[in-house]
Amino acid sequence: METSFQPKILAFLCNWCAYAGADLAGVSRLQYPPNIRVIRTMCSGRVDPLFAIRALKEGFDGVFVGGCHIGDCHYQDGNVYTLKRMDMLARLLDISGIGRKRIRLVWASAAEAQPYADSVTDFTASITASGPLDRSRQTLALAGLSRALATPRLRWLVGIDRQVTERSNVYHEKTDTAHFQRVMQEAVETEYHKAMIQEIISQAPANVRELAEKTGLPVYTVSLRLNDLERNAQAELRGHEGRTPRFAAAA
Amino acid sequence: MTENVIGSAMVVGGGIGGIQSALDLANAGFFVYLVEKSPAIGGVMSALDKTFPTNDCSMCILSPKLVEVGRHRNIRLLTLSEVESVAGEAGNFTVTVRERPRYIDVEKCIACGKCAEKCPRKVKNEFNQGFSERKAAYVPYPQAVPLKYAIDAAHCIYFEKGKCRACEKFCPTGAVNFTQTETLHHIDVGAVILSPGFSPYNPAGVDRYGYGVLPNVITSMEFERILSASGPFEGHLVRPSDHQEPQKIAWLQCVGSRDIREDAHGYCSGICCMAAIKEALVAMEHAGSGLDTAIFYMDMRTHGKGFEQTFNQAREVAGVRFVRARVHSIEPADSHDLKITCFLDSGELHEEIFNLVVLSVGMEISKETRQLAEKLGVAVDSDGFAATSGFSPVATSRPGVFVSGAFAGPKDIPQTVVEASAAASASAALLAQARNRLTHERTYPDAMPVSGQTPRIGVFVCHCGTNIAGIVDVPSVRDYAQTLPDVVFATNNLFTCSQDTQQSIRQAIVEHGLNRVVVAACTPRTHEPLFQETLQEAGLNPYLFEFANIRDQNAWVHQKNPEAATQKARDLVRMAVARVSLLEAIEPLKIPVNPVALVIGAGVAGMSAALNLADQGFEIWLIERESQLGGHARQVRQIWNNEPVQPLLSCLIERVQNHESIHCLTGAEITAIDGFVGNFSTKVQTHQGLHTIAHGAVILATGGQPLQTTEYLCGQSGRVTTWHELEYLFDQYPEKLASATGIAFIQCVGSREPERPYCSRICCTASVQGAIRLKEKKPELRVVIFYRDMRTFGQREALYQKARGMGVIFIRYSAEDKPVVEVDAQGGLLITALDPILDRRLQIPVDYLNLATAIVPTEGQKQIAQMLKVPLNDDGFYLEAHVKLRPVDFSTDGVFVCGLAHYPKPIEESVAQGQAAASRASALLVKESIDIAPIVSVVDESRCIGCGLCEASCSFGAIRLKKVTGKGYRAENISALCKGCGVCAAACPQQAIDMKHFRETQILAALCAGAAA
Repeated sequence: METSFQPKILAFLCNWCAYAGADLAGVSRLQYPPNIRVIRTMCSGRVDPLFAIRALKEGFDGVFVGGCHIGDCHYQDGNVYTLKRMDMLARLLDISGIGRKRIRLVWASAAEAQPYADSVTDFTASITASGPLDRSRQTLALAGLSRALATPRLRWLVGIDRQVTERSNVYHEKTDTAHFQRVMQEAVETEYHKAMIQEIISQAPANVRELAEKTGLPVYTVSLRLNDLERNAQAELRGHEGRTPRFAAAA
Repeated sequence: MTENVIGSAMVVGGGIGGIQSALDLANAGFFVYLVEKSPAIGGVMSALDKTFPTNDCSMCILSPKLVEVGRHRNIRLLTLSEVESVAGEAGNFTVTVRERPRYIDVEKCIACGKCAEKCPRKVKNEFNQGFSERKAAYVPYPQAVPLKYAIDAAHCIYFEKGKCRACEKFCPTGAVNFTQTETLHHIDVGAVILSPGFSPYNPAGVDRYGYGVLPNVITSMEFERILSASGPFEGHLVRPSDHQEPQKIAWLQCVGSRDIREDAHGYCSGICCMAAIKEALVAMEHAGSGLDTAIFYMDMRTHGKGFEQTFNQAREVAGVRFVRARVHSIEPADSHDLKITCFLDSGELHEEIFNLVVLSVGMEISKETRQLAEKLGVAVDSDGFAATSGFSPVATSRPGVFVSGAFAGPKDIPQTVVEASAAASASAALLAQARNRLTHERTYPDAMPVSGQTPRIGVFVCHCGTNIAGIVDVPSVRDYAQTLPDVVFATNNLFTCSQDTQQSIRQAIVEHGLNRVVVAACTPRTHEPLFQETLQEAGLNPYLFEFANIRDQNAWVHQKNPEAATQKARDLVRMAVARVSLLEAIEPLKIPVNPVALVIGAGVAGMSAALNLADQGFEIWLIERESQLGGHARQVRQIWNNEPVQPLLSCLIERVQNHESIHCLTGAEITAIDGFVGNFSTKVQTHQGLHTIAHGAVILATGGQPLQTTEYLCGQSGRVTTWHELEYLFDQYPEKLASATGIAFIQCVGSREPERPYCSRICCTASVQGAIRLKEKKPELRVVIFYRDMRTFGQREALYQKARGMGVIFIRYSAEDKPVVEVDAQGGLLITALDPILDRRLQIPVDYLNLATAIVPTEGQKQIAQMLKVPLNDDGFYLEAHVKLRPVDFSTDGVFVCGLAHYPKPIEESVAQGQAAASRASALLVKESIDIAPIVSVVDESRCIGCGLCEASCSFGAIRLKKVTGKGYRAENISALCKGCGVCAAACPQQAIDMKHFRETQILAALCAGAAA
């Protein structure tokens, strides 16, 4: 029975708005499904996207992040960073096939008990409809996501977004938002692909064809990414199997 | 002034003004009695939905202040109380306060709500403007402070009929006490601050509005509750008569204000224009694009910081209709809809049907407040507002009794907060010698060292009466907790927050050698500080504590699912235990404070700040760029209430110059400012050389200046002057006035323009006053004022009335069709402009034209902002920490702002803001050292690569790059500035930053525990 599935949902709520809104939902005796487990942080900006992937790995089926409305952040603009990071995380989840539906970012003020309760109800229903996250089939994807989200490249890029799109770079040029989004999308794809390859070869040496099969990427793409990894001393040629070269994580 | 000064003050009125005064004084070493006539503090602001111009949620920004007052060790709240009399003199008063019975023992009440649930009597809920019902046992609103129920004797069945007492029977703590009686308190205080606030004008019984007869004619206060998410309709926008969503809403401005009829007030209430715009915008947000909103007004008075921009946005982007007309009647169109009739600008008769009409009611002083003033011997003016002077805007006629907020004239929230702080600092100056005499601070035993020890965790699970235990199987949660790793003790309590349980927690810590504590109960937002204190009393570091929220976010929201709620409670306890076992003892950070203030700018704002702080006993450096003190006020003739400025200014300058604690540096330029809160170092260049000044706080009073313009022949014709120049010209050459026949003023020169969208606030009043003075000197002179909206806000409206009475001609113009000024054949000036009333273009010859040019920030403001890393707004004025509730603070601690540097404002507001900045600074300077919340970031230098992303993402300048020899740059924490948000930790590409108390390992421990089944 599909309806008997009770998803596990983890929430990160900021102390000043969303957590206070959640308390007010209680004071107002609003009712919502009991699947959510809340971790309080001072600001939603504390939430590293890696936490969300870790939650999915550990057994949660969905991750909910609640912060103050843009402009209302107790720390001026911490939530703007949250927004950028969650956007990046959503892109990665889409590429990985897990899908952005597993995460939700909601702004809820300390007075918005009803909107908070509604969002929790809605997200719970949505995750229930999506079914449990099949971790056994997503092992590689989850490992790849963790690796990708830990790369300095993606962390730097998402961190520099506001600086180059809202202010200016070191040459006093402002970057067009659409252009930045394209760069981000390209980076997210590349890093995720590399991360999957790294994950596989960190366990055992593999050839390009095997890598293509396991990652679902075209052979050509795998070659390109391996090349990148070799250049950065993250992968190396580790002997041949017949005439086929095999690659392993750099020692 | 008495010898025997008492180190405490009484604040009368628990609205936002009273709250701010109480907090400022209590934080500056004075004990405060806060007297509130209702069962809870919060005032009008607690009933508002949003606040203009930022549309912040009103309750969200107010509630932390309420909690702070409720918990403050040096504030005593006296609710249901009123002042009967004040005897004695400044510095040593005895106040008699009458406290009405609550019939509920506040020590015992845990706000579980059982009494209200069981109370059979329903009463109209006045907090929701009568749109919903409450019980006779009630709290005024959910976030009320104190969060204690009260029994409304006027409606209680027991008091009516002598039986019922259902509340008493069901109260789980025995808090209901019907034998309580009225108490008279005699309280000795050194100063009294009156902040009784205003009453909304009541349009009932005024035939022309149909209010009270037509159900869909409501007041703006009622509309606030309709909009509120916690209001009677949960924020669903409906009208009262049939609960249908309105498609068309009209706002009628100036209801009860700017109306000289018997049943209304002549003054302008100052806030209603912005309130109406805000309500229209919020209504459109709630209803979506289909809603038609129209505001019927006389002049749009959007003269505050950010107001004009909101007005423009409402008109141009949101599509709110602004109709310049005074509506003369509202009639029923059918049983629900309403027909509005008015004459438009064009002279046409306009009729329109609306589904809902909101009356923008003004402010008035209630009968009770007038009586209070009379009892205290405080003089009021004919409108009932407390009489004050421009250079002492918060002092009443009775020495030692101060005033703030709407009781001293109509005003908005930020101005109220400014005056509240000003009243606090004026009191502090009076009571300075008795500072810290009546306040007390808690001391705790030294904390036991825990690092390296195996966790020994104690878990306390709360029943909260039946609030938790009615849903969650508490004993099973306790038993489960016992099985968790490192838990050596677990118990359950009926009320974990009660006094006796605190004692048993302390005992358990000692008996079982606990070094970590988990409480599973309500919410950390209200109760964490209580339990942390208990830990400290038992010799444990307060950060070795974790809360599991099993009431507000569990039992109360899963009432129909007890099993799942019990399971969730176990999970939450497991998560809390996992986290607490990794928590570390964190020592409080102490930063020494240098009790010296630097005030930049010696205009009235800066001098007022300096003088007040010096009177409070602090050493002050007052830095002025010009060779003289006084700033722009040296040119101003009158305060709006006609007080002459120059004698008062001379007196202020003399007091500043002669004060032994004030060092004035004139002809001085700031060249560098370094350091942070408590420990700044500033370099000042004067003719005598370079001074280096060490100080603990900075007050920015850098002023403003009139815009230099070339518009309207300014600079080309000697007959075109700006601001005060014209009257100085006539003073110098009286014959010029004698020969003149016509003089014109043009308003909004450079203000309210696309490149400078703000209103300069003071120009309408200044030109009207100038016109009156000219008319007084020469009644036959023709004086014309070209204006866009006449913004003589508040009681300044009387000047506008007077000027019209004297024959000053007011001609309105629009930004699209400005007056045209030419030099005529005789060498005079010819002004051509459209008169919208006559709908005809007029040519008016005048001898002189005076321009009210925009007030702009002073040069150098930007450099100072950069030195201190404080923000400027789009118009170049300093951007305060919060436009409503922190109007003189910055997000950067230790830096404060006042005067024109913040926004254009009249002298009395500059004085008040200067005193307010002094108040905020004094709370810092009185302390030898300040405790910084130790939840701060820490950098692992071995992982840091010096990329600087953390520095770029920190809004507080709390993390920055420093040069490390041989390594380039590395990030460095400045814990004194860190607010603990953790944005940097999540940003670091190298994952080299962690947050104390919210470490990655601690968060992940809770996460993993939550995932484990």
